[in-house]
Amino acid sequence: MKITPIIGLEVHVELKTKSKMFCNCSAEHFHVEPNTHTCPVCLGLPGALPVPNITACEWCVKLGLALGCTPNETSFFERKNYFYPDLAKGYQLTQYEKPFVINGKVKVGDQEVRINRAHMEEDTGKSVHISEYGQDLTLIDYNRCGVPLVEIVSEPDITSATMAKDYLLKMQQIIRYLGISDADIEKGSMRCEPTVNLKIEDNGEVFYTPLAEIKNVASLTGVQNAIEFEIKRQTEEFEKTREVKNSKNKTTRGWNAEKAQTFLQREKEGSADYRYFPEPDIPHMEFTPAQIEEIRISIPELPDQKIEKYKSVYSLNDYDSSVIATDQNFADIYETVVTPQNRNDKIKEFAKFVANLFLGAIKTHLNETGEELNQSKINPEYFLNLFDSVQKSEISSSAAKQVIVESYQTGTNPVEIAKDKGLIQVSDTGALEKMAQEVITANPKAVEDYKKNPMSIGFLIGQLMRLSKGSANPQMAKEILEKILNGN
Amino acid sequence: MDLQNLSFKQTRHLLLDKQITAVEIANYFLARTKEIDPKIKAFITITEKEIIDQAQRIDEKIKKGEKLGKLAGAVMAVKDIFLTKGIQTTSSSQVLNGYIPQYSSSIYQKLIDEDVMIIGKTNTDPFAFGASTENSGYFTTKNPWNIEMVPGGSSGGSAAAVAADLCHFALGTDTGGSIRQPSSLCGVSGIKTTYGRNSRYGITAMASSFDCPGVFARDVEDIALVTEITAGLDPHDATTCDIEVPKYTENLKKINIKGLKIGLPKEYFTGSIDPEVKEKVLNAAKEFEKQGAILVDISLPSTDLGIAVYYILIPSEISANMARYDGIRFGQSVDGAPDIVSYYMQTRGKYMEPEVKRRILIGTYALSSGYYDAYYTKAAKVRTLIKNEFVEAFKNVDVILAPCSPTPAWKIGAKVNDPLQMYLADVYTVCINVAGVPGLALPCGFNNQNLPIGFQLIGNFFEEEKLFSLGHQFQQFTDYHQKRPQL
Repeated sequence: MKITPIIGLEVHVELKTKSKMFCNCSAEHFHVEPNTHTCPVCLGLPGALPVPNITACEWCVKLGLALGCTPNETSFFERKNYFYPDLAKGYQLTQYEKPFVINGKVKVGDQEVRINRAHMEEDTGKSVHISEYGQDLTLIDYNRCGVPLVEIVSEPDITSATMAKDYLLKMQQIIRYLGISDADIEKGSMRCEPTVNLKIEDNGEVFYTPLAEIKNVASLTGVQNAIEFEIKRQTEEFEKTREVKNSKNKTTRGWNAEKAQTFLQREKEGSADYRYFPEPDIPHMEFTPAQIEEIRISIPELPDQKIEKYKSVYSLNDYDSSVIATDQNFADIYETVVTPQNRNDKIKEFAKFVANLFLGAIKTHLNETGEELNQSKINPEYFLNLFDSVQKSEISSSAAKQVIVESYQTGTNPVEIAKDKGLIQVSDTGALEKMAQEVITANPKAVEDYKKNPMSIGFLIGQLMRLSKGSANPQMAKEILEKILNGN
Repeated sequence: MDLQNLSFKQTRHLLLDKQITAVEIANYFLARTKEIDPKIKAFITITEKEIIDQAQRIDEKIKKGEKLGKLAGAVMAVKDIFLTKGIQTTSSSQVLNGYIPQYSSSIYQKLIDEDVMIIGKTNTDPFAFGASTENSGYFTTKNPWNIEMVPGGSSGGSAAAVAADLCHFALGTDTGGSIRQPSSLCGVSGIKTTYGRNSRYGITAMASSFDCPGVFARDVEDIALVTEITAGLDPHDATTCDIEVPKYTENLKKINIKGLKIGLPKEYFTGSIDPEVKEKVLNAAKEFEKQGAILVDISLPSTDLGIAVYYILIPSEISANMARYDGIRFGQSVDGAPDIVSYYMQTRGKYMEPEVKRRILIGTYALSSGYYDAYYTKAAKVRTLIKNEFVEAFKNVDVILAPCSPTPAWKIGAKVNDPLQMYLADVYTVCINVAGVPGLALPCGFNNQNLPIGFQLIGNFFEEEKLFSLGHQFQQFTDYHQKRPQL
């Protein structure tokens, strides 16, 4: 029996616009006193009308373009009708038939996930269930009602829980690069609903298990675990019942993070009728080719492009390239240090040198302090100085790692720090010869050993390094010792 | 001083000449309303405190020599679907009984800012669903010309208030004829503006892509003045248009009737039209002809599809627009429902009027999956067809002249048990809403029972100026608008 998971993801991203989607209320709702960011429009009061937030619409198009989507010539909002107390108007404004953008794709590792669409909609309020005054009460906070959401719907091209996680990480990276959302799953500014079923090949026959949409997954590992659980559950269920997918047996399942399992929430999802129709309160929207172009130009260089550049121009390896590109701030600062203008002749060596410092010593330091990389503490000139010193063998690679962190903290030139700490290597032949003679004289036994076995020179080098208090250039020390001992 | 037969313009002169104070004007209209309204029941709420407060503010301004708003001295009635901050707004439905809005509708606020005085909130069919005010969750308004007759609707309360001289002008809305038809039945003038000309913000929505706020008055001059103030772009209503509002009042004589081509659509003069209505409306056309206009027979062939299109599209929009009346945040609601679904059903079941429920049901059905394409999509296509016929017609004629209603006012109760007959009362008005063009209703005579008859002038998009100019000139060579009912 061969099992291939078929996974599609619906990702909701809360945009960080100043105001809500259809009114001027602040879109801030995290830790805000309930019902203070509300007005007639987002409270759905009689007579109130929605006016679309143009910035939010542009950001939706921007995200679409970044995902390789094509903008629709004309888009419009539609009403999705259902009753729920936190849905003030009794319908949600969303896009159904004509979303802003369609048909994109995202690279996830070596694979590609097709994007069906990205559309604009509004968030609902929050229902809070409490027990007070001896009663079970439901309180509603409308602060979140009307906050702009972009929903990104993928095609079911994802084949594993890990790939789903990587897809989300990639989505998160792109969204953060665009600066349109915090895309924080834990805070709810990015939400994800996987739809999972399995393709099962058994004895030359192919079966598809019923679709299950998983809701309430509030973390990245949750997504991964929920999908893994669901794959296992559907496999077992299929073995038991042999039930296959049809148009009526799609279910909605919740995710219980504590028990690490999904549970049935709603059966027959296919029967819900939201009676979509075009929102008459908002005219159809059109972005002209010129406006689309303007949005396209505003898109920064994205992680994939950066990785490609690091690999082709700087000859960085895959791993280093993608780690640097993960975080836009980190990547941008890296690029202020490594620019093609700097050390044009040795750009690849320099790029690798800086990458090693960024990903090694500096990243370790940042992880320890929990800080973000700070542009003002990075002086590109210092990196050049340090690179030159290492190239000239004045400073060892290990000493470079040591001084760069101190330089980052204090703002002092790392080469100066190396001098102060006596980390400058002695590469002066005369001085080294003098020390070599001293070492040879003091260690006749080791000299004898060397004559029998040239490999044992290490001991003498060690002695020389000790004598120089570590400042001798080890390569030169070895060469000079050999020269004297070999008598030429 | 008897202010009854004075227009707003004349009243304002008296105020500015300090022959009368705003408080005296307010008191006159209050007293008259208290005397007359029990007979016709135009008002759901009489805003005694507000009108006196506003009058005192105006007198204070006059005393201090401060600049007065353009409507200082005017008394206005407001259809009870316009939200008025601090003043109960019921939409004539029990579901909003006692509802005091936290904000005001945009155009009401614009008028208040021009120092208008509000006398009260007028009765309508609930949420404007109806053609006679008989669907109101409170009571039926009576026609001032004959209190056994309906005033028309849905803005029947506003039309009756103007006809009975309880105010200088009144605000209404016209979704399928709700200004023009009651104007015609009550013998007053009324404008249905181009869709997008007047803001809908703060007016309880009926069918969002049809609703057109407008105004009733005795004469076109007052209508032009009020529209000049209310019209224009509203940042709170995305469907309002950024098209300059002409100075309607300065251009009332602008259009030359000589050589003007007036289209008479044959579909509006056939079928169930009352012979007297037909005669009076054609007489109005002949009045224009006497002044040099050219009458042109035209055809708007899809007219008979208007009612069908209208009664698919508007309930569809209504079914969603009514969803917010769930008893959660405002309005009346039931106690003791065991769960949220029962709470919704009991609240809406108890407080929504039968016509409200009927339209929610029709709309919900039309939008349901499996029916959507057959009803909503198809109706939307025919809507485009109807609109295009108007666009085509206006390539050949300057304005279109037609009746507003196939009959004069009918007896209260005559149609209440036959909703389809009631829907057909809109037959001459709905297509104008389906298309979105403006229509100005004007009185043009009486039938043998002394019931008023009116007609409408229909213009191309945003041609209110032309309609006001023609309507004003019509009222210079006729005096139907000056006739008063005996009350």
